[in-house]
Amino acid sequence: MAVVRKKISQNADVRDQYIQSVQLLKKEASGRKTNEFGIPGAARSVSTYDLFVIWHVTAMMLETPPGNPAGRNSAHRGPVFAPWHRVMLMLFEQNLQRVLNDANFGLPYWDWAEDGDLPQQQQSAAAIWGADCMGGQGNPVTTGPFAFSQSDPSAFRVRISTNISGELRSVNRGLRRAFGVSADALPRTAHVTNALALSPYDSPDWDADTNSFRNRIEGWMNDDGVSATWLHNLVHVWVGGEMLLGSSPNDPVFFLNHCNIDRLWESWMTRNGRVYVPDMTADADLKGHRIDDPISSPLGRNATPREMLDVSAIYEYDALL
Amino acid sequence: METKKLETGAAPQKLGEYLSRTREKAPMHAGHGAGGAQSVRKDDYRGHEIEIVTTYKILVDGKKIRAPLGVDAAGKVHCHSLPNYQTASAVDMVRALIDGFPEEFEPKPARRKSRPASRRKSRSAAKKGSKHEH
Repeated sequence: MAVVRKKISQNADVRDQYIQSVQLLKKEASGRKTNEFGIPGAARSVSTYDLFVIWHVTAMMLETPPGNPAGRNSAHRGPVFAPWHRVMLMLFEQNLQRVLNDANFGLPYWDWAEDGDLPQQQQSAAAIWGADCMGGQGNPVTTGPFAFSQSDPSAFRVRISTNISGELRSVNRGLRRAFGVSADALPRTAHVTNALALSPYDSPDWDADTNSFRNRIEGWMNDDGVSATWLHNLVHVWVGGEMLLGSSPNDPVFFLNHCNIDRLWESWMTRNGRVYVPDMTADADLKGHRIDDPISSPLGRNATPREMLDVSAIYEYDALL
Repeated sequence: METKKLETGAAPQKLGEYLSRTREKAPMHAGHGAGGAQSVRKDDYRGHEIEIVTTYKILVDGKKIRAPLGVDAAGKVHCHSLPNYQTASAVDMVRALIDGFPEEFEPKPARRKSRPASRRKSRSAAKKGSKHEH
């Protein structure tokens, strides 16, 4: 039976389960050590949660094709953006269910446009940043369930990050957020509505300069068709801190943002059908982004964009747009 | 997608194996390890083949930084160290890098002065003497 993914601000039980399961994954040893992923320094145990941080950075390093000037990689800046993150979220959700021992748990989403509709100065005080939810901002974050305490070894710590070259490195520090510093305000409902009105899922040149649904929700172009930080990207940049980096899954709010993006994709498919482009007649330069290409994941050939179009047997949303 | 396949793929052991394998094969981005970054843009126009090679050499406070900047066909600058940004100029991207990686731009703390002043003086004098001799 499909699990139901719900809005975090309206479901306290789901919110508390999410926090609990993230903390459990963060404490669970994956059985792997940092040196197995080429991370410099002394070999240290890697948690299951941090495997998802490494996965995101690794996907970003795999350019498709190598050296392409558009910066298209196996998860971003191209058509596979939505299906790749769908796979990541499904595997993450499976792990949350496992540590909660609750097969009915659905990953919650953050409807950030609701907060974006608030006056700018109120957005940092939205319910999601409460001490009973994701906590607030700071370097380090000092409120909420992911607050840092130097003297508390069980406090939430960032252990794997990236350096200025985008390479993985070991760290030991608290979570960082800086609301509204690198971007003034969150996206608004009107921006989401405008994105959903775009009918092509994607279009040539399949990059960050195309006026398509995928490119709009990924956040490379605004409503006027002009290059801008928008929707998904704007949420990352507005939250700031960890969310600016390739290692952005370090912030548990990463998954809530992407769950909302996945909900927008699902909403788009209710309007336009379960369709995806490019198909397999597209140039080999788009390998990794075509409908039957394997998505870069542990699922191998079992996960392709086509396989990700209808996942209604696995999960559904409490509300689409 | 079958739930069983999903469960198997989600196991930490399976994800760890996949990542370890993928990182061994993952090609490094252009410029990684070389201290620079390079973009090659190609186009055809009126029967002419255009190739534009852009290389960034970036210094901040006189120090070379190894950020993999690229430039796309529209001339926008991107950098996977800050994957959610795209800027109109490389200067804007470097400003964002300074904000995103503050510790990489912090001045190194001055060396601790642990030696007695008289000894430092004599070392300095010895150096001067050495220069003078040669």
